[in-house]
Amino acid sequence: MSSSAKKKTPGLEEWMYHSLFQQVPFNVAIIDRDYNIVSANDNFTEYFGQWRGRKCYKVYKNLDQPCLGCNARLTFEDAQPRLSDESGVDQHGKEAHYVVHIAPLRKRKGATVKYIIEMSRDIVETKNWQMEYQLLFERVPCYITVIDRNYKIIRANEAFRKNFGDVIGRRCFEVYKKRKTKCPNCPASRTFRDGQVHRSQQVGIKKGGEQAHYVLTTSPLGRQADQIAHVIEMSTDISDVKKLEKEVLEAERLGAVGQTVAGLAHSIKNILMGLEGGMYIMGRGLEVNDRDKLDQGWEMLERNFNKTTSLVRDFLSFAKGRMPELEMVNPNRLVEEIIGLYQAIAADVGVALKADLNPRAHSVPLDPKGIHTCLTNLVSNAIDACEMSDNKHGEVCISTTDKKGVLSFIVSDNGTGMDSEIKGKVFTTFFTTKGGKGTGLGLLTTRKIVKEHGGRISVSSKPSEGTRFRIAFPKSRLNALYKEEKSK
Amino acid sequence: MTKPDNKTVLVVDDEEDVRKYLSMALSDAGFNVLTATSGIEALDVMKKETPDMISLDLVMPKGSGVRFYRELKKNKAWAGIPILIVTGHARDDVGKADLKELTMSGAGIYLEKPVKPNRYIAAIKQLLGMDTTEDETETARQVQMQNELKNMIDDADPETLRKLQELIKKQKE
Repeated sequence: MSSSAKKKTPGLEEWMYHSLFQQVPFNVAIIDRDYNIVSANDNFTEYFGQWRGRKCYKVYKNLDQPCLGCNARLTFEDAQPRLSDESGVDQHGKEAHYVVHIAPLRKRKGATVKYIIEMSRDIVETKNWQMEYQLLFERVPCYITVIDRNYKIIRANEAFRKNFGDVIGRRCFEVYKKRKTKCPNCPASRTFRDGQVHRSQQVGIKKGGEQAHYVLTTSPLGRQADQIAHVIEMSTDISDVKKLEKEVLEAERLGAVGQTVAGLAHSIKNILMGLEGGMYIMGRGLEVNDRDKLDQGWEMLERNFNKTTSLVRDFLSFAKGRMPELEMVNPNRLVEEIIGLYQAIAADVGVALKADLNPRAHSVPLDPKGIHTCLTNLVSNAIDACEMSDNKHGEVCISTTDKKGVLSFIVSDNGTGMDSEIKGKVFTTFFTTKGGKGTGLGLLTTRKIVKEHGGRISVSSKPSEGTRFRIAFPKSRLNALYKEEKSK
Repeated sequence: MTKPDNKTVLVVDDEEDVRKYLSMALSDAGFNVLTATSGIEALDVMKKETPDMISLDLVMPKGSGVRFYRELKKNKAWAGIPILIVTGHARDDVGKADLKELTMSGAGIYLEKPVKPNRYIAAIKQLLGMDTTEDETETARQVQMQNELKNMIDDADPETLRKLQELIKKQKE
């Protein structure tokens, strides 16, 4: 059989000795007991350079005597194959890292090992990657720790060690939060359980005792949920951002207070002007004994006194900070209420009030009182704009739409419209174009309510053509607010 | 000598109470009075009759004061008419820039609401170059000085403010 097999594969032996020797993707060398390289393939020559008549330690490592703990010598003695990581120099004198398999070559089992074969492969690139990853792990400007199932920290990067001290072997909750027991809602234990990435905001205590705000991401190290032995905890310190946030909020609050005071002062100045006028006219009436002037003056005083009352009322409603009280309500119902309230008022000044409602509208979480205030403000503005305009066919339309998950109320009119100058000022505190009629707080209050709902208000307008206000609420935000409110 | 009854003042203000008050004060002092509720209406009024003097509000819904003023400056017959600004927005974000543009380009003086009738009339007379009673002259001078001071205080650095405060305190002692 063996002779026929030999006949069937002519040249196999030759191929084994020449082609295989040359083609294996290793640097192959055959070494005798005196460490002479007796044969090597082209890969080897290309990597380590000229080898003929040279000792292996000279070629691999440029040494003048055998390496300390030489593996080849051991294999010559016990005929066992070996595998090791080695460092040497390549033919250009550059540092080389390679992994070496050593196998004995002998005629039969038990015979002396006359030669060994060394197959090595370059791992410089792998080494470099390792170093790069190590560097990245150490230097990345966020905290990284790796913990095991007992919450013991087995690795921690430089930034972490710098801020939290020497931590290897300690439990993460002791280190991050100076606790003696596991944190409630521990995100790492969730990752151990479900194998998913979890993100959360945390407050910890640094080694100096100061608070650290950070965003923590926990991800599993392991392919399947039941095989996760380690979790990597990565956190970004947002303490500075938190501090800035607080400062900005404070500055905004102060700015708003300043603006409000300035606006309030202006409103009061206007009222005082009216009172001044009323007093003057009444005074003249008394001086010249003119009943008509007395009446005019008195009316003016009364009017401006009433203005004070409405200013105080509007100001208080604007200043009152309150969270929207959401309930499920059909937006069309709110519009119908407003139409009912304003139909007669509009008709009195010759303005037609119409509704264009989305027939497929369904209930969404809204604060009915808040939205009622918004629509009241927008509609009464629109009616005033029509009344002030020269257009004899004044018309105000309230419509509802529901597109791409956004619920909108639109109030449009064909009244005076606004030029860009006025449009830019409509959301300014106490800005009014209605003279004595307005307090300049309506649109501001409207915007505040809309923002409290997580919505937006926008305006488009052209002088003497009309104005269109749109308040839009992403339904996802309304639902999130609703959930939040319910959970409280 | 010019007399008030030869002079016509146009009062531009969107608030009815203000128009009524100022026009009554003016006619009581002997002036002829025209009124307009906005910058646009004021231009219409002026096409029919050119006033000697304009009393102008700044922030109005239809055609603001500053726009009206720019229109005036385009017309040679109107460009020289003295203007008295009467505003409540002299020192807030809504009116400050407009007021600066107007006063810088020579639109006379301004009064901040609320205004007393005698101050108002004194300022009108001063701008028209009319003889005023000693009392009126003094009032007008005071008004102008106060306005100038207010502006200077608005722009002053903290050190100057401190010195000013010391000075006024000393005067009071």
